[in-house]
Amino acid sequence: MLLYNLRLPQSNKTDGPRGPMHPKRILLAAAALAACVPAAYADDNKLTLENRIAQCQGCHGIPDWKTAFPEVYRVPKLGGQKPAYIVSALKEYRSGDRDFPTMRAIAANLTDAEIEGVAKYYGGDAAAPAGDRK
Amino acid sequence: MRPAMTKKLLALALLAIAFPVAAASGDAEVGKKKSTPCAACHGANGVSVSPEFPNLAGQYEDYLESALKHYKNGKRKNPIMTAQAANLTEKDIMDLAAYFASQNALQVKH
Repeated sequence: MLLYNLRLPQSNKTDGPRGPMHPKRILLAAAALAACVPAAYADDNKLTLENRIAQCQGCHGIPDWKTAFPEVYRVPKLGGQKPAYIVSALKEYRSGDRDFPTMRAIAANLTDAEIEGVAKYYGGDAAAPAGDRK
Repeated sequence: MRPAMTKKLLALALLAIAFPVAAASGDAEVGKKKSTPCAACHGANGVSVSPEFPNLAGQYEDYLESALKHYKNGKRKNPIMTAQAANLTEKDIMDLAAYFASQNALQVKH
């Protein structure tokens, strides 16, 4: 256990409000981290549609949310959009035909079923022009 | 400097900042007149009749602007839209974006 030999330099700059970090606490932190990381990777295969939609909502679910790169404009509203259009847009991002770095990165790992699910979520109630604008 | 004078200068400075921004946005009324070709696919009210064409009504103005600019400069590729956007001026794009943004349909779904 190399961590047992770890010694922090005795400098005031690194001291927190409770004094220098004790090696035992470092070990504890490392153990906690080790316990988390493999679990997070294992869960990668079990992403639900809700997880995917949450990913979309991080930008598309916030009124007036703006992209910062490579250009600045508000991310498009998806509520009430045509499901078939959302499907084709996501597939174009996935194949690289449509060029927006963030969406390409997100769409790269989507399955056809997930794409259909996301499209249904946003476009499911895409009937008449109604509702208040946000 | 007297306080009153400072206030006047500040007001002038604010006007100078605000005015070009206002002048740079599109005119929805003019956009409506220019939107006739769009209606063939995107519907008379920005709600398209065909499932594969996106609704435009109520979409954010700046997003619509950037989409049209990307079709025009080739960054976004679509056989129909490339041809449509090719002949649009920057002013046309702003007017059309203002028009479709002024309609109701699309929403931010929470």
